[in-house]
Amino acid sequence: MPLVSRILIKASLIYLLVGLLIGVLMLINKAVFISPVFWFLIPAHIEIMIFGWIIQFTMGVAYWILPRYLKDKGRGSAKLANLVPILLNAGIILVVISDLMAWNGAALTGRVFELSAVLIFMVLHWKRVVTYNK
Amino acid sequence: MVALALGVLIRIDGFEFSGMSPMLWHALMVGWITQIIIGVSTWMFPGRNKEENFLNQKWEWIAFGGLNIGLPLRFLAEPMATAFEPSIWSYLLIASSILQFIGILSYVVGIWPRVQSKEQRRKNRAKASG
Repeated sequence: MPLVSRILIKASLIYLLVGLLIGVLMLINKAVFISPVFWFLIPAHIEIMIFGWIIQFTMGVAYWILPRYLKDKGRGSAKLANLVPILLNAGIILVVISDLMAWNGAALTGRVFELSAVLIFMVLHWKRVVTYNK
Repeated sequence: MVALALGVLIRIDGFEFSGMSPMLWHALMVGWITQIIIGVSTWMFPGRNKEENFLNQKWEWIAFGGLNIGLPLRFLAEPMATAFEPSIWSYLLIASSILQFIGILSYVVGIWPRVQSKEQRRKNRAKASG
């Protein structure tokens, strides 16, 4: 498993635990009311679980397992691939901070980072979606 | 199937009940997507012990049990706890969240050491074969 995949997958597992912990706190708050503050965690819970866990895990596994190029570097540009976890995680953290602090500027920057990460991911993988059987 | 059925029911007047929307989303995101990710990664990540017994797969079995008892328990307890609070349903709702927490934690504990490079895998194999 290449380094980029290991970073993406391990980061996604950390997000899974963080998102889960937020979910558990919200559910306990629903059962035994502690504070209304927990309801403000819903957008962060959704962002962490969808982008941090599911999307990041999927990207990590796809980078590892999709068919590789037969010539040159099997998975394309390593420099571009290294940008994917950096941009994606910077984006998620900025969006979560903005959700918690109602800071719109951070949300916009975060979404741009996430979009950039996904575009790079697409460029890297587009030609790897192939069949060797003709 | 449960998520899709809830998605249909939520659109029909008179069928909606408290907690239906989170139930739909968690049936889809935890009951299906997360569990299919857990199942496939358990199968295809390197380092799986192919001898099938409970001890070799204890983390995966705990994950399976925690999620598949915790999630249906939540679906039962959440609307009931809202309707009859405070009641035994509130405690069952807390129990459901703890079961899901244990399930996911168990999956992470089991899969974390299997996220490894080819080099790490080679070393682990060499160590295992003595």
